[in-house]
Amino acid sequence: MSFPTFLINLLYGFTIGSTLILISSSLSLIFGVMGVINLAHGAFCMLGAYFGLTLVLWTGNFWLALIVAPIIVAVIGCLLEIYTLRPLYGLDHMLQLFLTLGLSMVMSNLVLQIWGGDVRSVTIPEALKGNVLILGTVYPSFRLFVFAVTIFLVFSIWFLITQTRWGIILRAGIHNMELVDAFGINISRVLTLVFALGCGLASVAGVIIGAMHNCNINMHADLLNWGLIAVVIGGLGSFRGAVIGSLILGVSEAFGALLVPGLAKFTIYAVMVGVLIFRPEGLLKEV
Amino acid sequence: MPRAVLKWLPLCFFVLFPLGTGVLFSEFYLSLLIRVFIFGIMLLGLDILAGYTGLVSLGHAMFYGSGAYLAAILLTHVTDSIWAILGLSIVANAIIGYLIGYFCIRTRGIYFVFLTFAFAQFFYLVFSNWIFVGAADGMAGIPKPALGIPLDLGDRRVFYYLTLAILVAAYYAARWIVQSPLGKVLVGIRQNEERVRFLGYEVNSCKRRAYVYSGIFGGVAGSLTVGYLSFVSPSVYHWTLSAEILAMELVGGMGTLVGPLIASGFVIYLGDLLSSWIAEAWLMVLGTIYVICILYSPEGIFGILRKLGPLRRLLSPGDKGPS
Repeated sequence: MSFPTFLINLLYGFTIGSTLILISSSLSLIFGVMGVINLAHGAFCMLGAYFGLTLVLWTGNFWLALIVAPIIVAVIGCLLEIYTLRPLYGLDHMLQLFLTLGLSMVMSNLVLQIWGGDVRSVTIPEALKGNVLILGTVYPSFRLFVFAVTIFLVFSIWFLITQTRWGIILRAGIHNMELVDAFGINISRVLTLVFALGCGLASVAGVIIGAMHNCNINMHADLLNWGLIAVVIGGLGSFRGAVIGSLILGVSEAFGALLVPGLAKFTIYAVMVGVLIFRPEGLLKEV
Repeated sequence: MPRAVLKWLPLCFFVLFPLGTGVLFSEFYLSLLIRVFIFGIMLLGLDILAGYTGLVSLGHAMFYGSGAYLAAILLTHVTDSIWAILGLSIVANAIIGYLIGYFCIRTRGIYFVFLTFAFAQFFYLVFSNWIFVGAADGMAGIPKPALGIPLDLGDRRVFYYLTLAILVAAYYAARWIVQSPLGKVLVGIRQNEERVRFLGYEVNSCKRRAYVYSGIFGGVAGSLTVGYLSFVSPSVYHWTLSAEILAMELVGGMGTLVGPLIASGFVIYLGDLLSSWIAEAWLMVLGTIYVICILYSPEGIFGILRKLGPLRRLLSPGDKGPS
């Protein structure tokens, strides 16, 4: 393998990984702060993709869809958190897990009812349709755009977590939510906001995936599956871990496709089993 | 007296049920009940794992699918004896359960949910790409299994009695497991794993045994499905199936054995009733019922039933629901 091929594949791997980052890091953040494994995360992502689809159809403006669809989904997430998850805090963790599973069933079938079962795609704006030449290889500029958006979002969240007052509350909450409550901070508002933020990020990923690949009725299962694997590799509740885990998955799939074609998707499982044998708790434990 | 009646009445009802086909109701209800029984077998297994041991698996379709594909391959290429198929299905799923369990059991709680989920999706991926078993299209027109005695399994009533017999056997097997010393240890693991470990039990090996047992039930259910439907597709491995049976389990009440059986009947009947006018949207209704159930009655419809006096002791073999 020549060096440019290697670099291009690395870039491709990062692009695949970067869509996953948004899903897995928000999944991990929700778990870290709320102690809830959101099995409806894939469904929120799918909801984002389909809202994006409709918004682009109505307005013809991709940028508007990229911003408005996540806001709509975040509001939905917010309402669902208040009315369904909130009564379950403090009870068995498994109940919350079951609840999100139920929400996922309802939402994915709702999408099927509203948008139908056809495979569709979010239209990419003209400005991003072309290709660019990197190291003598033609590379779709939309993928570069995706990569850039993800880097921007990851650093914004990282800034939010490490540099702001809100981030301090979040990090404190990951360690001990009761103590944060005792300091007079309204934790139910924090939890709702974290959930809404997570849903919003997932649906940004949804719009991007809907444009880069397609929107289909089973996407929520695959996305949840990949997101969970990335989180398991990276370490549950760890933001950085989720980012690293997603990139590992993306790169292993890109190189898997190159080195063992036809088995590309299996390389992900090989990576997961490998990590779990040597580090059952995942790679990172810190936020 | 009411206890004995409660115990034998349902069984008598189901044994006599096929006599009414064509007179009181159509054959359709027979096939509905066959599906209920098959799901019931799988739910008994899941209940040992999730209800008693507290290991919630989101990948139980792995066993169901493996049993189904094994039966499909054997029926098409090797043998048509249902006994050989069920026997091999038990052995194969025990092996799969042991191997996958080896990885999954080492983890706890939520990690266990993830891992079982991921492994089941792995099987889904393998079987939707494997040309030998028809890849994404699955296999159709699989030959009918034979009993080895002059009764035709193609006849719905014969198949009905076969599944009923296996369900009853499975119920007693599951009850035997949960009432055995192992069953007590499993309940202990659910309540406090550390303490059980301090008492000197090999927690991991007990959990693995629970996983293997529950897998065997799932595999048998899968094999029976293929024997009945003569069709298999990779969707038997899909996680929505795992989610659906977990929903049934929860609606029925975990750790009760009988509860999930009733729930499977309820859910499948409701599914058929609703899917005739709202098609696939019925899963939405199931999801909603399920969400309401979690919010207002975490012990399931069965938790309510169990509070009704005479039912109480009969319905709690060995243990009382999740604590």
